[in-house]
Amino acid sequence: MVRLDSERRKQYLDLMAQRGWDLLLFYGDSWRKDHFRCLVSVCFSGPQAVAMLTREGEIRAVVTHPWDVEPVRSATGGSVTYAPRLVEGLKTLLREAGKAFVAINGLEQMEARFVRAVIETSGSAPARATADVEEIRRVKTAEELGWIRKAAELADRGYEQFVRVARPGMTEFELVAEVEGYLKANGAEDNFMLVASGGTEVTGMKPPTARKLQVGDSVITELTPQVNGYYAQICRALIIGPPSEKQLESYAIFAEAQKAAQDLLRPGVDICDVARVQNDVFRKHGYGEYTGAQYTRVRGHNLGLYPDEFPHVLENVHYTCKKDMVIIAHPNTYLPLSGYMVFGDTLLVTDTGCVSLNKTERRLFQT
Amino acid sequence: MKRGLVSWEKSELPPEELATRLASVHTVARNRDVNALVLYSDVWRSNDARYVSNYMPYWNRAFIVVPREEKPILLCSLSPRVYPWIKTVTVHETIIASPSPPATLFKLCVERGWNRLGICDLEGLPADLHAELTSRDLDLVDIPRNEIRPAPTEVEVRMHARAARMAREVLGQELSAAAGQTDHELTGRLERLLRRAGAEDVVILVSDGQGAPVPAWGAAVGPHTSVVVATEYNGHWAKVTRNVAGVTSTLPPARGGLKELREILSGSYSWETVDNPETPAVVSLQVEIRARNQRLYYGDTCLQGREGLHVL
Repeated sequence: MVRLDSERRKQYLDLMAQRGWDLLLFYGDSWRKDHFRCLVSVCFSGPQAVAMLTREGEIRAVVTHPWDVEPVRSATGGSVTYAPRLVEGLKTLLREAGKAFVAINGLEQMEARFVRAVIETSGSAPARATADVEEIRRVKTAEELGWIRKAAELADRGYEQFVRVARPGMTEFELVAEVEGYLKANGAEDNFMLVASGGTEVTGMKPPTARKLQVGDSVITELTPQVNGYYAQICRALIIGPPSEKQLESYAIFAEAQKAAQDLLRPGVDICDVARVQNDVFRKHGYGEYTGAQYTRVRGHNLGLYPDEFPHVLENVHYTCKKDMVIIAHPNTYLPLSGYMVFGDTLLVTDTGCVSLNKTERRLFQT
Repeated sequence: MKRGLVSWEKSELPPEELATRLASVHTVARNRDVNALVLYSDVWRSNDARYVSNYMPYWNRAFIVVPREEKPILLCSLSPRVYPWIKTVTVHETIIASPSPPATLFKLCVERGWNRLGICDLEGLPADLHAELTSRDLDLVDIPRNEIRPAPTEVEVRMHARAARMAREVLGQELSAAAGQTDHELTGRLERLLRRAGAEDVVILVSDGQGAPVPAWGAAVGPHTSVVVATEYNGHWAKVTRNVAGVTSTLPPARGGLKELREILSGSYSWETVDNPETPAVVSLQVEIRARNQRLYYGDTCLQGREGLHVL
């Protein structure tokens, strides 16, 4: 398993040269490990970890958990310092570099005291590198695509398990436990998963509750396994028992909207149009009001080391899509026909269009 | 993200306990002469918010604002569509949709004439929120965490102990029969059982006897395998470590030369290295035991205090 992508490192070095940065720090914490892992692909255990890339391409790291030292050293080949208090670790790291122009990827998430430590040691306020690094991360390398394909395959298998185990009387959290156990047993590192069950009273997804599944329920999920750091997502709806006419009608609208997005997505397309064509389907069917913020969040988003990367697929977001981006288009929203419903696949942007990385059937599932 | 059960079992966490905590926060606000006290929360830094209002975010950022004599207000980046659910598992009656919690906080300050706010661990705020908050003409008072949460309450200790019991039971059940499985398979079995038992979150690390515990990577479970289970029960973490060989240690270890790792489970993050081994806190203590060129790990969740450690 390659834990340091040389192609990525070169891109970051080019960025540093363009911007005139002497040092580029990659700061990750328990929530946003991706800001660290986009340089060093180690799922660290401590609350924070920082990797420092020099203009010469050398990598040094500070970790806040002693168990992270070995894997990070093995990944980078450089020096790794264990510092239970990151402030001290940062000062040690930067003191050796002397006065330098420092940029930080993940600066926004960094505790203010850590930023202060950087300022005090390097002699100036650090530059924000997050947006630039995210732009690089959006276009996936061949190796990254390999991991995302594996994650998509696992998402398909995870959804099969979801359908296999769901039954009346089972609680939502038991259903999630069954799927989670399956995903982990089959190599998932983590999983982002929202769920909901019920009828037209369901207005959104959240973590699972103790509600028991009932005949007639629409059971919806966003399932997002992570393999070697990379996420792929699938969204489907499952009806406990036979679906009603309204549930079928609702599903048909979602499937049409998702297809519209998939038909349009290609290099050069503005992401706002990927949202617009989905929303247009709802408008055509008389449900335009359900495409707004009151009923839904986004019509999809980028995927990678974080399960909800920018750009979000929204009519007011402009971004020109590029080859080898990985995007989920999901027109998930509330409809009075069925309650909140979901449908979406992970899409890889190719030279001429896009392909779905999911193989799960496109239908309204039923037990 | 947190994708296990988030609930409010009032038999375990009585509303009176939360009322008592809120009263102590009000006292801090009065003593510090601030209009309101603000606590930051996100998916991996939720202990402060959980303590005050039982809010346990599964994702995203939030501020808990405690006006001097009122119930706490939640400024939440999550969609209003989940607020009815949040109200069922927290004390929050007022939740304000806040794509930017500082912007909403400023609005509250204007509406209520507030000009002096207490911020729990001001320097610990994420840099963007810190920059936004300090950019306005507001008097911000840094309130140390231990002023708000001086020591774990009996209720918190019981909840941590329950999480530890869950981890011990599941590890005891599965580890003895784990030979021949891969670490992925073992992790899957542990996750399934813990989540079915009501765990809110689970993080599992495995050591093959050669290196420190890391996430499962497909290795076979062998006689020198150790497994670290971190599990969260309704906002209260526990860490329990066992090994296939069945090697144990007293906690803290009675003999010298054993490497110890002590982490606080009731601090700012879900776990972080302990500053002071006498500070009252719920901690995990992991011991590395070297035997025949192998590294075995053993550990548990303990209550730490001036009197020493007590396994929960």
